[in-house]
Amino acid sequence: MNVPVHLRPDETFVLNLGPQHPATHGVLRVKLTMDGEYIVHAEPVLGYIHRMHEKLAEAGTFAQFMPNTARMDYLHALAFNHGWALVVEKAAGIEVPERAEYIRVITVELNRIASHLLWWAAFLLDLGGFTPLLYAFDDREQIIDLLERVTGSRLTYCYLRFGGVYNDIDDEFITGTRAFIRRLRGRLPRIYHDLVTHNIILIKRIKDIGFVSAEQCRRYGATGPVARGSGISYDVRKNEPYSVYPEFDFDIPVFPEGDSMARYMVRMHEIEQSLRIIEQALDKLPGGPVMGKAPKMLKPEAGYYYSAVETARGSLGHRLVCDGGKNPYKLKLRSPTFSNLSLFGEVAEGMLLADALAFMGSLDLVIPEIDR
Amino acid sequence: MGEENVPTSVVQFAQLDTLLNLCRANSLWPMTFGLACCAIEMMCTGGSRFDISRFGAEVFRPSPRQSDVMIVAGTVNKKLELAVRTLYDQMPEPKWVIAMGNCAISGGPFKVKENYNVIEGVDKLFPVDVYIPGCPPRPEALLEGIMTLEEKITGKRRWPRVQAGC
Amino acid sequence: MDLTETTRAALAALFPGAAAPAAPATGDETTGSAAEPAPLGVSVLDPARTGTWLAVHCRPDQVVEAARILDGQGFFLESIAGVDWPDSGQMEVLYDYNRLGGATCRVLVRARVARDEPVLPTISSVFPAADWHERETFDFYGIRFEGHANLIRILLPEDADFHPLRKDYLP
Repeated sequence: MNVPVHLRPDETFVLNLGPQHPATHGVLRVKLTMDGEYIVHAEPVLGYIHRMHEKLAEAGTFAQFMPNTARMDYLHALAFNHGWALVVEKAAGIEVPERAEYIRVITVELNRIASHLLWWAAFLLDLGGFTPLLYAFDDREQIIDLLERVTGSRLTYCYLRFGGVYNDIDDEFITGTRAFIRRLRGRLPRIYHDLVTHNIILIKRIKDIGFVSAEQCRRYGATGPVARGSGISYDVRKNEPYSVYPEFDFDIPVFPEGDSMARYMVRMHEIEQSLRIIEQALDKLPGGPVMGKAPKMLKPEAGYYYSAVETARGSLGHRLVCDGGKNPYKLKLRSPTFSNLSLFGEVAEGMLLADALAFMGSLDLVIPEIDR
Repeated sequence: MGEENVPTSVVQFAQLDTLLNLCRANSLWPMTFGLACCAIEMMCTGGSRFDISRFGAEVFRPSPRQSDVMIVAGTVNKKLELAVRTLYDQMPEPKWVIAMGNCAISGGPFKVKENYNVIEGVDKLFPVDVYIPGCPPRPEALLEGIMTLEEKITGKRRWPRVQAGC
Repeated sequence: MDLTETTRAALAALFPGAAAPAAPATGDETTGSAAEPAPLGVSVLDPARTGTWLAVHCRPDQVVEAARILDGQGFFLESIAGVDWPDSGQMEVLYDYNRLGGATCRVLVRARVARDEPVLPTISSVFPAADWHERETFDFYGIRFEGHANLIRILLPEDADFHPLRKDYLP
């Protein structure tokens, strides 16, 4: 889209996108000031699914908040479980056995693949293609079956505990996961790349659309595939390693173009890297217990603690303030999508509406995570 | 109090009504009203494994004016309340509402003392026909909810009820 | 000099005349309980224990200067959070900064304001990310950010008349 756009700010109308709209991936409202099909000003309005997670954290104990973490970003719920478990384990000084760390990594990476598959399906649905959704959901059902064996839930997992995980994995899970890795590796080049990634319609719709520069990412605090699609090599698993990620050999895909195609390619490559991590974790899986020693009623030492984990959407931070009591005194959830969406207003100016929706899809939004 | 048959329209077609109800029940067009986590299970139900299309309900319409049933999948907020009411009013008769998930039934995990923002159940806003509990309910539960709604519309159940223990 | 040292040296400009700190401290250093808030200054923390490399406790009017120093060093704003300390009649605002790529160094900048009149200057001129974060802090606590272009509610309904995350709020 290199044609210069001359906007007429005196001949505009206001168009309301959402909160009920198939393309907004949840209840997001965007107040668009339009000049014909071009956007003059875009203002996202949030809060339509604000569910008071930070207040509920203060109201209950540390353990009582664990189910809430899954409801924020339900697509990568295990990573949200992980972030909360990490910060409380830091604050209370709880040790996690090695087998539990490996199981955490395997399940979190499986969930990351499921999240990227659903993003892929929803993104293409926005662009007008329905069939990829059926293929992606097929693979996603395989992952959900595996995780359901172990965690008991299909979507909103509450699997991690302070000190480990509550249920061990069995041999059928391990053979099932290996079979899934083989299956997905076979399907990725044929179905995902031949059918969709190299499709001329997709390329024309998302190449050179929604350019985000690296400096914009820094000024708005965008992390995750949005930053990696703009040439910034930042992944919490490599830059601020936690759990047993240093044991694995995996790459961080970085694409410098900054357009929607780059963000798309980052996520597709991340699926392959996650498969690598899961394979290595299954090979190196040690024996031992899956729960460490943790007191029944946690009362961490007073102080300010922070933990960062890499979710499918970016760096999730938990800023925890403890006062020595059994409830958290204050929990600030640093949501990656909140920061990613804040650059929408600046980037969407001058874009065609259809391109702006393609750009929004490439940002991978999950609104309950923004509104918490 | 006893059961009462309240006619839904002024004009009654007698036997033709049975046929019309059968047609309506087997082609329920839901409105895409996935708000939160339950929306993903609704999408899974639309996928090929659980296949809501066998029940005629795969045509999710974005516009309320073209849909029969509003599946409220997710939490309704004080900020969203007016929008939800407007959407319900915009749906043409005959219309039904399925409250999917604990949040839509009663506020779910957010029905606590500190609740300042969540509406505790969509039946506070408009009448609900079928409640599907779960957090989130399995796709099979949503299909059972659709079948219960069909039973409510036609008076007959399409699938035999599964008995536990056999 | 490694990244933590260069950043600490740059931030020390906020407190001219202060002595350099001793060995890295544990989480106790930034214990901001109502009884004894930490003194003004820059402290080096243990990242394995607290997740933070440096902590700066500054006056409310110094937050913009701190943001400028960190922007000059190439940091990004990770989050802004408010904390309500009703027992000491204060509210606190926590700013988290981090590096986007390369070595990590998380910096926590804290400032305390009076609880009945919580006012701070905005840093949205330095970091546009602060726009939405400050609106959220205002929404939850009622802390006003002077100079903010659009300080309206972001998550609660526009006509809400309460600040829910204050400790004395119950619906």
